[in-house]
Amino acid sequence: MIKHLLKLVWNRKRGNLLVTLEIFVCFLVLFATVVMIGYYADNYRRPLGYEYEDVWSISTSISTVVDLDRDNGELMRKYAAAFHAALKNMPEIESVAVIRQAPYSFSWTGRTIEYNGKKLSTTSNEASDELAQVLSLKLVRGRWFSPADDGLAWDPAVINQKLAAELFGSEDPLGKDISEKGDAARTGSSTPARRGMRVVGVISDFRKDGELSAPETYLFSRTTPGRSKGLYFLIKIRPGTPRTFEETVLRRLHAINPSWDFEVDPLTRVMQTKLGYQIAPMAAAVIVVSFLMVMVALGLIGVVWQSVSRRTREIGLRRACGAPAGSIHLQVLGELLVICSVGLGLGTLLVIQLPLLDLVGFLTTEMYIYSLITSLALIYGLTLGCGIYPSRLATRIQPVDALRWE
Amino acid sequence: MLKNYLKIAFKVFLRRKFYTFISLFGIALTLIVLVVAVSLWDHVFGPHPPETRPDRVLTVYFIRATGPAGNNTSGPAGYAFLDRYVRTLTSPERISVHGIFLPTVSYRNGAKIKSWVKNVDAEFWRIFQFSFLEGGPFTAEDDRNGNRVAVINETTRRRFFGGAGAVGQVIELDRQSYRVVGVVSDTPMLRLTTFADAWTPINSRKSQQFKREFENGMFFSTILAKSAADLPKIREEFAGMLTRVEFPDPKQFNRIEGQPKTLLEAASDELTGGYLRTVVMIAIVLFMCLPTINLININVSRIRERASEIGLRKAFGASSWTLVGQFVIENVLLTLIGGLLAFAGSQLILRMINASGWVPYAQLTLNPRIFLYGLALAVFFGLFSGVYPAWKMSRLHPVEALRGGEQ
Repeated sequence: MIKHLLKLVWNRKRGNLLVTLEIFVCFLVLFATVVMIGYYADNYRRPLGYEYEDVWSISTSISTVVDLDRDNGELMRKYAAAFHAALKNMPEIESVAVIRQAPYSFSWTGRTIEYNGKKLSTTSNEASDELAQVLSLKLVRGRWFSPADDGLAWDPAVINQKLAAELFGSEDPLGKDISEKGDAARTGSSTPARRGMRVVGVISDFRKDGELSAPETYLFSRTTPGRSKGLYFLIKIRPGTPRTFEETVLRRLHAINPSWDFEVDPLTRVMQTKLGYQIAPMAAAVIVVSFLMVMVALGLIGVVWQSVSRRTREIGLRRACGAPAGSIHLQVLGELLVICSVGLGLGTLLVIQLPLLDLVGFLTTEMYIYSLITSLALIYGLTLGCGIYPSRLATRIQPVDALRWE
Repeated sequence: MLKNYLKIAFKVFLRRKFYTFISLFGIALTLIVLVVAVSLWDHVFGPHPPETRPDRVLTVYFIRATGPAGNNTSGPAGYAFLDRYVRTLTSPERISVHGIFLPTVSYRNGAKIKSWVKNVDAEFWRIFQFSFLEGGPFTAEDDRNGNRVAVINETTRRRFFGGAGAVGQVIELDRQSYRVVGVVSDTPMLRLTTFADAWTPINSRKSQQFKREFENGMFFSTILAKSAADLPKIREEFAGMLTRVEFPDPKQFNRIEGQPKTLLEAASDELTGGYLRTVVMIAIVLFMCLPTINLININVSRIRERASEIGLRKAFGASSWTLVGQFVIENVLLTLIGGLLAFAGSQLILRMINASGWVPYAQLTLNPRIFLYGLALAVFFGLFSGVYPAWKMSRLHPVEALRGGEQ
């Protein structure tokens, strides 16, 4: 049966070539889209590592911070500490933390750390003792920073599970000393080489860039208000505090220093904005691709329809010789399936090269296979769907129509 | 003759509405996507005011400084470096130093207004041709004296003052008061070189610390060449200058790499390591592949049902070329109709993008240049997808064709 179908397809290879080509290209486009959606969906279902409900961020303008930082670190320290104390005393605020890069902010820092001769580049951040409370960080092991860390000879560090696994493998990360490579001159500031770091805790994760970001290794070091270069305050407000509280906060801060510029934003709002920017281009791509698929589907219906009506004689003859409607269905759809499989086979061969050549390192093998299966299923479904109506038309062909030609 | 062809074409389109619909749908969809893509590209890289002379303008965006220990830093250059070494280049016609745009928040009657402020020198206004709605740019003297004056864009004028008549009024930015001297029309945010909501003199900054920044700072420098042919000379002079730089702290950094670039070069290097054009072209070709194949497919099957017509014409002596001509004209006509639909559609989509605020300050429009690109594409489409099927059919033997085509 299959051999026979192959023969039928082969006999009309020139006409079928174009359809095969179309399915091949269609598969590639669809696969790319499915991989993209799969990648982000996979990220989305991973835990964020923190909660940002009722958390607001307060930032100063970059120009203020940069000027102050280069100008007079002393002044900056003084003000930061004063702001921190003022915020802490407001009854509507549950807790206040300082962080160098707030969730959803656009800046990024990285460090290269070393343990036992093993070097690793990781994303890093600095935060104060209260961050665990403000963002409800999920500690897996050990502890977060505390005032007790003040007098230590080493810097405490908190890492995420991914970093713990990559750097220490199955070893217990707690209490391990890590050092840093080639950092001293990077910022251009004159800070002396850092002291050694010791891991004091492991958090489940901290995906600063939000739900769609890829999982990455993360390292927190400790800061206190005014010590860090960036100046982000994160405040956890009591549930039910109205948005107008924003103005109260600003008045309070401007009472300390009227010339600084602050921006107060609920993290939920920052998150929505950022998510919007990330999703918009993807949504556009998905819309375009779905229209392309509709177009291909319509085109296929047209082609199959035409080929059925051109083969009236052949089909009519089969009917006259007693072939049931089912076998006509089988023939039309079977031929289509063969053509489709050839196109998809070529496509799969091509697509499998990518992980083999290690060009898609950001995807897990699992994700890749799922995407492949989904795309194959979608294209088969699409092709079969397009074949059903024309093939029903084919079963209605009367033997008389066909015999008229003979 | 042509009139006859067109008449036949219309009759055929109407007779087979399903096929006509599929073809039009495919053509229109493809063209809409391409036109929207082209207009986004044009929005970022095309010659629009204020950047009306892209062929003569180069900008130093990012530089990379390396130290003796192999440590390095890259980013916008510092003011001191640009002021001392780039401003003193002799081959360009004009040189401007301007800051990257930075956010600031102002409150007006309790409402929060977020604006992007950019510190620029007076030369900035002479290199870029902003269209002033009222007032004018600030002067070199304003910059020298650090006068608190600002040029704002239309959106900022609306946010702060509701409408016209902003010149002479006072605006609060970064907790300082500025007197508005000019209002310009909005520039898109993706135009990294010129975009801002408010432009203020470099020397009006609160702290003058930035003047000590050398390899690591927050400034760009834009160079206007006397003519496009001068660009290589300027690049050469720039490269020569880099070898003579005296570093303030050679133990930290003792080498600077970088070159003045056009916006397209800079974006291309940053995003794709120099292959932006190639990557975009490949994406477009791949994307166009599908609708083209689809169209050829439809045309192949559609044209078969006209076998008897072809046979008749051949029997009466029409040459293959005449027939190909007829079918190609039919096809081009179809793509042109698709093109028209696409332009209506893309107009709608561009308007939706403008309204959605997805691209900040986007005023995406279908300009005549883009219209012509699209039209050329439509014709190419028509020719490409029409010639092969037509040629195949035109070679049918008349006798067979009269019977209804080969099996």
